[in-house]
Amino acid sequence: MPDLQIPLILRMLTQHAGIGSNTIIVAKPLVLAFGGVEIPLALAKVERSDLYGFVEVETLDEKGRKCVLAALAEDGKSIIPPGGTAIASLSPEGNWLEKKSLIPTDTQGNRIAPVASSYAAPVNVEKTACIEEYLSHDIRAVYQISSEGNWGALLDELKKGTIYTFPYSFRGGLEPDAGFLLLAADGTPFLAVGSPTQLEFVGLEQSAAVAEEEEGARESEDSIDFGML
Amino acid sequence: MGTINIANSKGRDAVVGAQSVLKPMRVRWVDEQGRQIQSVRLFMADLSHDLAALEARAGGRDKIAQALIDGDPEIDLETCGSVLNQTRRVFIDPDGQVVHEVRQFEIIKNPDGSERERRPRKVAQPNAATETPLKWSGKLMKKKDVYNKFVFSGKRQIMHVNGLTYDFLFGMARELEESESLLLMGAGPKGNEPLVLTRGGQQFRGFLEGRTQGNKYCLILHLSNMELKAAPVQTACE
Repeated sequence: MPDLQIPLILRMLTQHAGIGSNTIIVAKPLVLAFGGVEIPLALAKVERSDLYGFVEVETLDEKGRKCVLAALAEDGKSIIPPGGTAIASLSPEGNWLEKKSLIPTDTQGNRIAPVASSYAAPVNVEKTACIEEYLSHDIRAVYQISSEGNWGALLDELKKGTIYTFPYSFRGGLEPDAGFLLLAADGTPFLAVGSPTQLEFVGLEQSAAVAEEEEGARESEDSIDFGML
Repeated sequence: MGTINIANSKGRDAVVGAQSVLKPMRVRWVDEQGRQIQSVRLFMADLSHDLAALEARAGGRDKIAQALIDGDPEIDLETCGSVLNQTRRVFIDPDGQVVHEVRQFEIIKNPDGSERERRPRKVAQPNAATETPLKWSGKLMKKKDVYNKFVFSGKRQIMHVNGLTYDFLFGMARELEESESLLLMGAGPKGNEPLVLTRGGQQFRGFLEGRTQGNKYCLILHLSNMELKAAPVQTACE
């Protein structure tokens, strides 16, 4: 990860909060409403690369020069570099349509009302989730949270093992993600963001239809090694 | 649906189904008349109209602005805006020529970006549906102790393919549910290797969870490649 040019004041804040200086700070706070108190939270995303490092793949030609990926068009000679294509929306007649004029609907044809960003107004934190409900979600991002506000009551609940859940949307959109407030095993409070999955209980009659899977592109006894790169 | 070769606590193994449980969002975009629109990919510019090519033709980057004012050198009127159907991914060298023989290296970097190791690239091979089943490691971790230790970023639902495997998997789900635990699952002869579900795919640690409801079961393989913990604090460089 390239060295981020973090302004001095942000660097001081991250050191005070005990957050790694190589993590990305989300500037606008997420305000939670808990027990009648509004709590501004600072979020710092924690990624796998922050904990274990990361892998870059370098591609070299026969002369040892670096190569990059591009796309070859159907004519077999036009090479399209990254950024050389665009996605367009067309009407049934093939006319150009502006994205902002399009209307999102569900499969029944009902208009989908977009959700607002969670940063637009304080988010009520009162609903709790059990461990199974949390485990039924695919977690795609985790944020280490901190606050300069009065959040002792919320922290106490998290220390008891309570998991709070609320709809979370960073910039607004068609469907919010599920946000979970919980305390990690090392005592650090986190916001985990994920989406629900289609788990279902199956009986004898519902056997799986197994197909050939297409090949995709894409310890110790006491501790589990996650640094496998 | 993919397959997975899995063993139970008694050492019995079977090849069963492993289903993705992603919940796709079904959105139809319609125009103002309520008609379905179509999304297409358009060809905008190729390498011969890229910045480097413009710079070479204009004789310098500072001369590109005047060239853009005088004409449209960045647009190929024959192809710009045409619909792209099939394309192929290729590697190109610094001269913009397609390369047919490449060597790939993995550069392993520390969290601070410094290089730790450099080695030829190894493409991970799938190991969840091989002749060697995923073993029942016996390493049970209570759900209440482990849910906040790892980031469970993916999952597969394990499903039976016939009556025998229904009994096999139902038994596993019931055993795990009664223990209120997740079972650590690994690949390889010793059952301690990370799971790779597709060729070239990411490596994960697998945790098996079982739930039952009457005579129905839900056996979930949780996938994680990251612990849930604070990022280490690094000394800021002034």
